[in-house]
Amino acid sequence: MTQSLIEQIGIDYPIIQGAMSWVATPSLAAAVSNAGGLGMLGSGHEPSEVIRKAIKETKEMTDKPFGVNVLLLSPYVDDVVDVVCEENIKVVTTGAGTPGKYMKRFKEAGVTVIPVVASVALARRMEKEGADAIICEGMEAGGHIGKLTTMTLVPQVVDAVDIPVIVAGGIADGRGMAAAMFLGAAAVQLGTRFVVAHESIAHDTFKQRIIKARDIDTVVTGQITGHPVRVLRNKLTREYLKVEKEMSSDEHPDFSRLEALAKGALRKAVVEGDKHGGSFMAGQIAGLVNKEQSCHDIIQELMSEYDELVSHPKIF
Amino acid sequence: MTTFEQIQEIIVDQLDKEESEVQLDTNFRDELEADSLDLFQIINDIEDEFDIKIESEEGLNTVKDLVEYVEKQQEA
Repeated sequence: MTQSLIEQIGIDYPIIQGAMSWVATPSLAAAVSNAGGLGMLGSGHEPSEVIRKAIKETKEMTDKPFGVNVLLLSPYVDDVVDVVCEENIKVVTTGAGTPGKYMKRFKEAGVTVIPVVASVALARRMEKEGADAIICEGMEAGGHIGKLTTMTLVPQVVDAVDIPVIVAGGIADGRGMAAAMFLGAAAVQLGTRFVVAHESIAHDTFKQRIIKARDIDTVVTGQITGHPVRVLRNKLTREYLKVEKEMSSDEHPDFSRLEALAKGALRKAVVEGDKHGGSFMAGQIAGLVNKEQSCHDIIQELMSEYDELVSHPKIF
Repeated sequence: MTTFEQIQEIIVDQLDKEESEVQLDTNFRDELEADSLDLFQIINDIEDEFDIKIESEEGLNTVKDLVEYVEKQQEA
């Protein structure tokens, strides 16, 4: 199964870079693909022409396959899907909804469709809709998260579907990768570790916050809104969680106060490096990420750690 | 059991509600505090229970919507 998925995509190693908002730009995606993994471009809420430009830029930097993450909630989603198909993108990952409506179009264009899921029911639904594989993401991950941990979610999803499962959430080294493979993964997706790559455009403040982060330094905001998000804690998250707590007793909470706090916070983190006001999305594994490296070195290190573990397993 | 009763049971089980809280005109998204994972679980369970396929959850908001969808699928 592992071979067939990475062969189908045409990559050397079963390592996918997460499509982190504002961070998954052409320079990072191209570097990951050039290093033998699968680079991903984020599309967020950008209009299709911005995405076409990013795709063209990426193509100038790599002749290897790379993918695009399509945010199904985006107001421009129809046009984005057209651009992705026209530009012969090989892999699409999807978030925030079900891609069923676009499945026929993707298949006709030869796109491998990989939705992100956070439960068994959602995984089964995606398989029925014709997904080629799924990314199963545990709540250890940074950014928008579900409820289950990677350790518990993955084996249950692996048992429930017949398509390859890519594991995300909590992986930053060869040990995590090996663990995921033993749980049944066909590949792994890493986000936080690639935020600190040399080729990542994330502001140095963001990179340093991840490098200095310890195990307990992420918090989950937005539980009350039904859209929980994992971020590194700072002044913004303290204020945000305080407002959430105040609202928890309201029968009809007014989320506009929270929206005002969060407005533009992601850009402030990634682009401006605003230490106090930015939303620094990172996974719980940030504590393990302690150096800035090239994507090539990250992938080679992961693979050598992984190979060492699986060829010389420590038997108790 | 009627279609409504079967669907009511699925929702009651998934969301830990009382039967009285799950009526035909209940909006299961807003009134029952179902999050998106609950929603897909309910759809999944209905698909299994009635051996049908729910193409899209768009437009399905109330318990009545679900009952009508299922009955239409079964006639087809």
